[in-house]
Amino acid sequence: MKKISVKNLCFSYVKDEPIVKHVSFNIHEGSYVSIVGHNGSGKSTLARLLIGLLAPDDGEIYIDDELLTNKTVRNIRKKIGLVFQNPDNQFIGATVEDDIAFGLENRQIKREKMHEIIEKFAKRVGMEDFLDKEPSRLSGGQKQRVAIAGALSLGPEIIILDEATSMLDPKGKSDIKELIEEMRKDNPSLTILSITHDVEEAFLSDEIIIMSKGEIAFKGKPEEVFSNREVLKSLNLEMPFIMDLKDRLKSEGINVDKSKDLDEIAEVLWPLK
Amino acid sequence: MNNVTFGRYSPLNTFTHKVDPRNKILILILLMVSIFLQFHVWSTTLLLSGVFLILLICLMLISKVNFLDLFKSLKSMWFLVIFLLVIYVFIPNPTYKFVCYRFNDHYAIYWDSFYQSGYIILRLILMISLTMVLTSTTKPMDLTYAFEWYMTPLKVIRFPVHEIAMTLSIALRFIPTLLDETDRIMKAQASRGVDFNRGGLFKRFKAVISLIIPLFVSAIQRSEELSDAMEARGYNPREKRTRYRKLTFSWRDIIALLFGLAIFGGILYLFIYDHNVEEIDLFMQIFGINVGF
Ligand SMILES: Nc1ncnc2c1ncn2[C@@H]1O[C@H](COP(=O)(O)OP(=O)(O)O)[C@@H](O)[C@H]1O
Ligand SMILES: [Mg+2]
Repeated sequence: MKKISVKNLCFSYVKDEPIVKHVSFNIHEGSYVSIVGHNGSGKSTLARLLIGLLAPDDGEIYIDDELLTNKTVRNIRKKIGLVFQNPDNQFIGATVEDDIAFGLENRQIKREKMHEIIEKFAKRVGMEDFLDKEPSRLSGGQKQRVAIAGALSLGPEIIILDEATSMLDPKGKSDIKELIEEMRKDNPSLTILSITHDVEEAFLSDEIIIMSKGEIAFKGKPEEVFSNREVLKSLNLEMPFIMDLKDRLKSEGINVDKSKDLDEIAEVLWPLK
Repeated sequence: MNNVTFGRYSPLNTFTHKVDPRNKILILILLMVSIFLQFHVWSTTLLLSGVFLILLICLMLISKVNFLDLFKSLKSMWFLVIFLLVIYVFIPNPTYKFVCYRFNDHYAIYWDSFYQSGYIILRLILMISLTMVLTSTTKPMDLTYAFEWYMTPLKVIRFPVHEIAMTLSIALRFIPTLLDETDRIMKAQASRGVDFNRGGLFKRFKAVISLIIPLFVSAIQRSEELSDAMEARGYNPREKRTRYRKLTFSWRDIIALLFGLAIFGGILYLFIYDHNVEEIDLFMQIFGINVGF
């Protein structure tokens, strides 16, 4: 089922300087899609358009076959959770629990219920021991986990992560990646749209959309994208470690095309002398 | 940057910490008004100020407020003290009666002026200390909630109470973030050769500008992202919201409020008596001493 459908989307901040140019794509319910592309290629702008923070110049956005307009935006926004890049600039509450509560207050959830919800989602992201801590006493990764808890607590059907890991250290990054995997297991119908620079992260997704100068340069399964050396080269993208490894093994005459992860490659490799 | 200790919230668990912030603000106002009432006989006013000073010290002990912090913040008041003294002592006032030193027929220095300036300084110290007790025992966010609660009636005349409270709480939330940012920019500029501590006035002015402009730019960028984040999470200032934090009135509040009302009522009674019935001379009545004037 189509969850997000974008048709011929155009947008410019300043007249005659289009930032998003005739973009069209569909995203199915429960899929995990990565959007990659250079800085300034219009990824964040696209995310802001999808949640109705910006209004398109031309084209349409459908969420669950409902056209995004001034009238429907409040309803549609309830289905989408957005996590931004900078952990500091989306922390609104004075403490972790107040921050998770912020969205719930907006939804007019009863106070008696709020505490339960906050505890549940704080636990979900592993922040249950930090409920009364102020943001200045948390690491970037912890703040980002709180932001995810805040988004999840509103029960969204779609989560958009706009470079949610790009300001984090390696530990913070891998924590968030794990969290995404767990979120998908918890709720298989959750649609995840992740804007990222991290090729390893993009490789885990079901589908990759590559944006370049406001247009979709390529769209397909991770294997297709990363086996297309021309595309990678023209977009200056690295290859994920596992694809690179497979390639190099192949050039040594070892075929590991069927192996999906490092363990399976190891299975093929260890009997060899 | 981090040496601003004056009245900063200290996360303790004393009686004062547990009193409802709305109640604390009310009591603070009651006490401040009491401190401001002046009696006809100067020794009475001074004696009551002394009583306030003792009460204040007790309050600070109960609330575990750091005395050292208070002295540090009062130290920076010396300029104001001298200023007040000069103003009061050298500017003539026809109500002064007791001559201290006479220059000539038209100009003299009066004892009254020393008493007046001393009294004003004492009042200031009392008020600053009381405010400090409030801010160091109440979370900034709770103060905003209390503020919003008191302002609620103004919603009738469409005064944007909620918006102001929200802005205030976000400003409070971002103070540490912006202090960090200031620190970072200062270091970045210092590594480019900007010297914040030396040089003439113009050079220092330029150095400060090199700090302020990037700070402003980043604050504006932050605020844009912040408003997007708030909107994305369904915030709409015109819509009804529920509240996670609830302010509760407990037995502590009743005790604290009774205490505040008792002091206020007592002083107010003395004040009305002093002004409408007869002048009170506490020294005379308690110790049987006439301190003159
Ligand atoms: N508020 C804005 N006003 C004007 N131009 C903007 C604004 N936000 C972004 N841009 C411009 O739009 C382009 C795309 O930005 P963005 O969508 O943030 O890219 P990405 O997220 O892919 O790095 C950039 O060239 C940027 O300068
Ligand atoms: Mg971006």
